[in-house]
Amino acid sequence: MKSNSRWLAVLLVLSLIVAACGGDSADEETTTTAASVDETTTTAAATDDTEPTDDTEPMGEEILTDFGVDLEAGTITIGLLSDLTGVFSALVNPVVTGWEAQVEQINANGGIHGLEIVLEVRDTVYTVDTHVQLYSEIRDDVVAIGHSTGSPHSVAIAPQLAEDSMLALPLTWYSGWSDPALNQNLIPHGIPYCLEAMNLLGYVSDNMPDASTIAIASQAGDFGEDSAVGAKLAAEALGFEVVYDGQAEINPGDESSLGAVANQIVTSGADIVWVATSPGAYAGIYGQALAGGFTPMVWSGVFVAWQFPLIGPDSPLADAVQRDMIFSLPFPNWSSENPGTQAAVEAIRAYAPDAPAYEYYLEGVGEAILLERILNAAYESGDMTRGGVLAAAKSLEAVSWDGLWPEETYAGEPNDIVNRTSYIVRPNVADLAAGGSGLEMLAPDYTHPITEAYQFDGACFEAFG
Amino acid sequence: MRGRPLLFSSYEQDQALLNTTTKRVSVFILLFLLVLVPFEVLPGLGFLAEDSWLRILSTVAIFAIGGLGMNILFGLAGQVSLGHAFFMGIGAYVAAVLGADPDGRYFGLGLPIWIWLPAAGIVAALVGVAVGPTAVRVRGLYLAVVTLGLVFIGDYMFRNLDTITGGSELGRTFPPLDFRLWMEDEPLLNVSSDGAWLGIDLTSEAKSYLVLLVLAIVFVIFAKNIQRTRVGRAFMAIRDRDVAAEIMGVDEVRYKLLAFGISSFFAGIAGALLASFVGSVIPERWDLFLSVEFIAIVLIGGAGTVTGTLLGAAFVTILPRVVQDFTLWVQGVVDAGDSPMATVLDFVVATDSSDFGLVNTLPGVGPGLSVFQLNQVIYGLLIIGFLIFEPLGLYGIWIRMRNYWKGWPFTY
Repeated sequence: MKSNSRWLAVLLVLSLIVAACGGDSADEETTTTAASVDETTTTAAATDDTEPTDDTEPMGEEILTDFGVDLEAGTITIGLLSDLTGVFSALVNPVVTGWEAQVEQINANGGIHGLEIVLEVRDTVYTVDTHVQLYSEIRDDVVAIGHSTGSPHSVAIAPQLAEDSMLALPLTWYSGWSDPALNQNLIPHGIPYCLEAMNLLGYVSDNMPDASTIAIASQAGDFGEDSAVGAKLAAEALGFEVVYDGQAEINPGDESSLGAVANQIVTSGADIVWVATSPGAYAGIYGQALAGGFTPMVWSGVFVAWQFPLIGPDSPLADAVQRDMIFSLPFPNWSSENPGTQAAVEAIRAYAPDAPAYEYYLEGVGEAILLERILNAAYESGDMTRGGVLAAAKSLEAVSWDGLWPEETYAGEPNDIVNRTSYIVRPNVADLAAGGSGLEMLAPDYTHPITEAYQFDGACFEAFG
Repeated sequence: MRGRPLLFSSYEQDQALLNTTTKRVSVFILLFLLVLVPFEVLPGLGFLAEDSWLRILSTVAIFAIGGLGMNILFGLAGQVSLGHAFFMGIGAYVAAVLGADPDGRYFGLGLPIWIWLPAAGIVAALVGVAVGPTAVRVRGLYLAVVTLGLVFIGDYMFRNLDTITGGSELGRTFPPLDFRLWMEDEPLLNVSSDGAWLGIDLTSEAKSYLVLLVLAIVFVIFAKNIQRTRVGRAFMAIRDRDVAAEIMGVDEVRYKLLAFGISSFFAGIAGALLASFVGSVIPERWDLFLSVEFIAIVLIGGAGTVTGTLLGAAFVTILPRVVQDFTLWVQGVVDAGDSPMATVLDFVVATDSSDFGLVNTLPGVGPGLSVFQLNQVIYGLLIIGFLIFEPLGLYGIWIRMRNYWKGWPFTY
């Protein structure tokens, strides 16, 4: 009798497991519409049916290696510290998919001089201690960190990165990465939040000459505040009067802070609203201000705040959003017709045919291409140790992505090499309906004179120390 | 009394820390093995000397200290508390204020560890005693709600006290585990960088592990002593029936406050050590989930027992790594393909969007749990499972194994 009831309980627990899985997988499907793949592996690559082309064998040259490069097995291992289930998972999952899509392309085209790229992806859950733990787990298996998600997280592994001479690309656009005092091993890419805000407000100023007042709101943290500081610098340079300064006032997890900020924005009566926060919080503030009957000349903000469902077929706000909003991107949007973006979109389509159009996939592809360039340079210099790869990264000049990303240089002083190029876009319902990401390009390769003139020698907003 | 290990002829003997020869020998051997871990001499366990595993074992030591605090409050005194993370946060920021580099960006006095570590515990204990009067008036679910409130008050405070905590989503750096006599430049005992101790080359991870192991041992003895003395018995009397305890002369309010104080002391120390060990922590770290993790440690390990808490801390901390490595291994087998094993294991991992699998190792593609979500499901199931089948937790399983072999080949 006793053992019978025990088995019954075991069965119940097993059914709980099944129930739990069912529930969670359904969630997964709705949140990460990121969709399906027709390839079977994440990491192991497909070189089988493609003959390695001209740039193949080392041919007797001595290649120095230490960690993560196995010349005998013909593999190069790259680590990705990604937030796959934490607060930024909706953005970072597509980035990782972009990486995988592009790595498949790179390997199919002969890899790095015949060496296959293998990815070691770890889920940091956007927790600093997990991030540090996972770094120590993969540090001796990889030659470089393809991306490190989150600013405090990347700062936390900085001492170990320095100790290991390890290259890492930060997956954040915080302006402080260019400060050598903060880190020697992080190679930033794309325009920093602070300069991006200057470009966007410069564009607004040029195109809306009647605008004279601005309301600025942001969430706390390096992203929101770096961006807000940039907006304030721009407002000063452009002669806008700041009628509401809500730097660090938004708490994305707290509905009441959204209402309070929306209220402040409405009462300020600003011509220009500028907000740096998460997509959900941006939509919340916008919706409440709109419901209060407030229609400024423009709602602007950094692209992190943008998410295409806002103008999706189910969104009651679609028309208003298309009318009111303007964003800036660090690289061209999904529907851009330059060869780099087209090739990236094809790579993603080949890997994940059902993935929705979304700029974060392009970010992943761009990062993978940057790593490919760095690894090629390291190979050609004959030094594929971790230190060699870092040195190769810091020697690159005029790296081109064929238009997927603006050209970048990594050798030189921060003020000379910092990326100052933005892409000004606005939401577009027709683009989304046509299979794009719902954005329309207003100004490609855009650098406003105030951004050009800004003397950049480190973080706009000092966040760490 | 040779040959009759369980015959105790005095109360002292019965209540001794290690009351049988077997316990004395096994604890000694276990400690010896734990000290040897970083030196790569243990056969078959050499992988534990890798930096990443040493970090996990160090975290076990920290969580064991925090868990012992939770065990005193929850396991011994029977008071449900969700506020553990709040007290850990207090400890961490006291450590930062007293110990952090005075030239740094945020407030710090640069005092040595022998000041900031005890202070972290003491201040947390004082805060625990200060909020105690409200907490001792309620019990059960109501107490859980009161202490839940603490976590949210803490969350708000920590996010907004920028000058101390570094601010929301940014955090700050914490003092390293180095031991200094006073504020001299060269620490007496350098823990935070690689180097030699007594002529043996050690990584900073190995050094941290050894330091934290020693601290954990100190706190284990402390916790064990609380449990087997008057205070511990008073706690247990309150846990089992508070009214009856009071009739027997146990001052309920005093002992409940004491339980809060001691528990918060352990939590403060654990928080300070965790922050110091990780190096930089954001205020959001001290959240409800951290408190729940400690409840899981106590429940899975075995409420009310020190050994159980240690087992629970080890289990909860090591499990995520085991699950992750297992998933990666399964993924490898399935990718290699064609073996019967691969066919079976294919049900465990999803390899493409149309493939059924419990775990999905393809980020953002198709259904299935991530490794992290699988861990959380396993936690939940284990808590439910242990509460139903084995209220004494892992410790109970151990006791039953021990009793089985004690009487073997007879059943009793």
